[in-house]
Amino acid sequence: MFDMNTITPLAVALIPILPLLAALAIALGFIFNWNREEAGEKETATITISMATLSFVLTLFLSISALLNGQQGKIELGQWLASGDFLVKVSFLLDYLSLTMATLIGFIILIINRFCINYLHREAGFQRFFILLSVFHSAMLLIVLSGNAVLTFIGWELAGVSSYLLIAYSWHRETATRNAGRAFVTNRIGDAGFLLAIAFCFYWLGTVEWDEMLRAMQSKAESPLFIGIIVAGFMMAAFAKSAQFPFSPWITRALEGPTPSSAVFYGSIMVHAGVYLLLRLEPLLMQVPFLMLGILFIGAVTVIYSYLVGLVQTDIKSSFMFATLLQVGLIMIWIGLGLFTLALVHLVIHAIWRAYQFLHAPSFMQMVNRPARPVPTWLSNKEWLYTAALQRFWLDDTANWLLTRPTQALAHEAQVFDEQVIDRMTGMPSQANMLNTLASWEAHQQGRFELQSEIGIGSGLLGKTMQAIASILHWFEDNLVLKVSGDGLINGLDYLGYYIEKIDSLLSKPRYLLLLIMATFVIVL
Amino acid sequence: MELSSMALHSADFSWLSLLLLLLPLGAGITLMIPAVTARWVALAINLIAFIVALMIAVGFDSHLHGFQYVEKYAWIKGLNIHYFLGVDGISVLFLPSTTLLFTAVILASWNSINQLRNLYFALILILECAILGVFTSLDTMLFILFWEVSLIPLFFLISLWGVGANRRYAGVKYVLFMTAGGLALLFAFILLALGGEAGNYVFSYPELLKIAKDNPYQSVIFFLLLFGFGVKTPLFPMHTWLPVLPQEGHPASIATIVGLKLGAYGLLRFTLPMAPDAAQSFQGLMVGFGLMGVIYGSIAALNQSNIRRMLAFSSLSHVGLIVIGIATMSPQGIQGAVFQLLNFTMVAGGLFLLTGFLYQRVGSTDVVSLGGIAKTMPLLTAFFFFLALANIGVPATSSFPAELLLILSALGHYTGVGIAVLVGIILSASYTLELFRKSFLGECRHEAIIDAQDLKKREIFIVLLMCFIVLFFGLFPQLILETMEVSTQSWIGLMIKQ
Repeated sequence: MFDMNTITPLAVALIPILPLLAALAIALGFIFNWNREEAGEKETATITISMATLSFVLTLFLSISALLNGQQGKIELGQWLASGDFLVKVSFLLDYLSLTMATLIGFIILIINRFCINYLHREAGFQRFFILLSVFHSAMLLIVLSGNAVLTFIGWELAGVSSYLLIAYSWHRETATRNAGRAFVTNRIGDAGFLLAIAFCFYWLGTVEWDEMLRAMQSKAESPLFIGIIVAGFMMAAFAKSAQFPFSPWITRALEGPTPSSAVFYGSIMVHAGVYLLLRLEPLLMQVPFLMLGILFIGAVTVIYSYLVGLVQTDIKSSFMFATLLQVGLIMIWIGLGLFTLALVHLVIHAIWRAYQFLHAPSFMQMVNRPARPVPTWLSNKEWLYTAALQRFWLDDTANWLLTRPTQALAHEAQVFDEQVIDRMTGMPSQANMLNTLASWEAHQQGRFELQSEIGIGSGLLGKTMQAIASILHWFEDNLVLKVSGDGLINGLDYLGYYIEKIDSLLSKPRYLLLLIMATFVIVL
Repeated sequence: MELSSMALHSADFSWLSLLLLLLPLGAGITLMIPAVTARWVALAINLIAFIVALMIAVGFDSHLHGFQYVEKYAWIKGLNIHYFLGVDGISVLFLPSTTLLFTAVILASWNSINQLRNLYFALILILECAILGVFTSLDTMLFILFWEVSLIPLFFLISLWGVGANRRYAGVKYVLFMTAGGLALLFAFILLALGGEAGNYVFSYPELLKIAKDNPYQSVIFFLLLFGFGVKTPLFPMHTWLPVLPQEGHPASIATIVGLKLGAYGLLRFTLPMAPDAAQSFQGLMVGFGLMGVIYGSIAALNQSNIRRMLAFSSLSHVGLIVIGIATMSPQGIQGAVFQLLNFTMVAGGLFLLTGFLYQRVGSTDVVSLGGIAKTMPLLTAFFFFLALANIGVPATSSFPAELLLILSALGHYTGVGIAVLVGIILSASYTLELFRKSFLGECRHEAIIDAQDLKKREIFIVLLMCFIVLFFGLFPQLILETMEVSTQSWIGLMIKQ
């Protein structure tokens, strides 16, 4: 009936493109004033929902055909970028892992879409919200479906950008926008690790395609150290995206977006992107057991951290978020132990359950009548642990102390350096030797104000040199030429001085100065 | 290989001369007609120039080695100086991008220039001609003519239409810096010309490529050229004109200086191929200069309170990465560098134009008098955000493939430098978003912003076009990379081969 070989490439490319098209259409509509204000809500909603549905249907279609006919494997659609030996293909990987994830993401985001159409009704920024949601949708699908590290990275970054926009959704509130920037920059640290890993994949394994990496690794027999560095880069990216210890604080800052969509955004989808990346790297991870131990360790620390901090939270969004972190930490532990299938199953169940829970969060407040459970006594008795939990183990403060503040101080010094040293070295107009005001001119006339130097003050290395030369000449003229040679010369000099003054007054008019500069050009040429 | 990389192909029509003659002609017309119609003439001439440039780019055969659209006529016979034009894969794409940027600049200055309009538009056209000349001339003397001529219109554009109080000082400072650099270039070109057989001066670029390796004064030439182009690039200690200029000059004309990084192009075109052995031995020095730029630029940008100054330092940081890419002499580095230069005509140019629109409305670009712009000017904010993302190097903008290639080349050849560059990448997100937050988001505090109007149709057209190009080449980078692939190979062939 269908020729799967021609349909599949088209379908798999369309899955991430469709939501992006929706975002573009809404953005253009906003620019050209088609869908602004409340009147445009319906069109906006229709575009988003229809594209998301279509993309989901295509995903389902591919998943079912994979179930019936087996995994398709890799699909290549051409080159995206080629430079020297560096080649990035437009390739997609259709295996059980990617299809499971794509179906899950498509399903949850479709539901959020529907939910938010009502939830954000008459909200300022309705259109903006659906643009960012569609970009996020597209980015997440690209992360899981792409066949190589570069395309995954593209999705990875776009997800970061859309999360920036979501956190800064209420842009007039300073906390929201500050947190947005902080979350983006924290993620950017992970992105640096991702880029590092991509570069070394290319130099040491000769490819950035996920499936070829394994083959290359086996045939080239690279030392485990090289594989370790590559994996460490990816791990850093994964920990940052999944908010594992010590990157955790950004995710609680991310709760500034409009409830409860933001929570779903992070709680059930984006936080799992890092887990997906590690699952994708399974064959590479198996080569470097010592790094698996690292994942186990980080997962365990995150579990303990989020358990303790979660106990003392007083608002529903934060407690959910720490519960989420705990679960993701557990998934990390499974990965660290090598239980990849268990990790995937846990991920799927957790994502669905968390989406349900977050969408319900506002209603929980209505339904639950009893007061919140107090902090358990074993915790409240240990004062130091209780304080630590309340302060979220000072992670944010440590980051500020270690990174943010030194950088700011450095930035300040750089500015001072630029103004005080470099600008002076190359010359800036000096205010010290000028008669700036009428008062200072009068003072000068009456002898109360002395200019520091007869010839003017040069600033900077060049200026000082010029000043020194000029004062030597001045002295020479004063003491030797004028005094030694009687009246005749002085008269002659008077004449000369008169003409020089004339030329000088001409030169002080801008147009003649320009002429002189032009003449200099001519000579130079 | 050696012969084919110097091959010269002529076209059936002198397209490049047409491009170069059209603009001064337009400038002449602009001076003679009433001030009100001057901008229309400037726009029309510029659009024709853009179409011609586009035709040149489309007609360019990216599979051929060497130079195309070559025109060569004797100019000063006794000295063997020629009127010698041509483009290769590295320079050809700068023609459409330059003419497009100038079209945008003319449209952006549509209403914001009220004094001496004729002169303003005439100078803009002459500047464009000089810059196109820099990209197309294949004779070193012709090159230096265009190089120096470009200073004259810039001097007047800064000192006459500048917005700052110290604009005259800024104009003089810029011109003096550039003249100093130009002098070094002139000496270097003379040294190069003497390198041929006795009594036979060589000013032709393709000829020089052949004999450059035999010149005994390679190190001197290298340093003269490094200084000459380094001032314009700018490299780290010579950058002080850069932050001053955007603060004092008119944003629209500054967009051309910051958007078109002629210095980095010169480094790629002359400094390395003209002194290949010296370049090999001083590779580390160039990487060091580049790294200084990346780190210093991004750290200094963190503390800026003025959007224009921040953009200037950010540009210092980006150009540092380009210098590193060039210094690696790898295909990724060279292609990334050219890609990034092309990309920044749109990104840095676009950001400066938007800043200009903001300045025109609010009268300031300093954080203290901004804030809450998103409320009254959502489109301006959205476009600025998009281009700011491009400034950070986010995927789906054309900065990403360029930056990816540059980082790749840095990590591959100088791993430590590459890691330091990654720190610069994190900082770039930090300073760009922080200043965006402070000036565009938050509460409206000032009357000027509350009363301001969003972008007009003309302005929307300009930035939308620029954003579209940034998006398009972000999604399809291969179109640009293919054009320069063969030329990049020849370039590397010249550097590596003994």
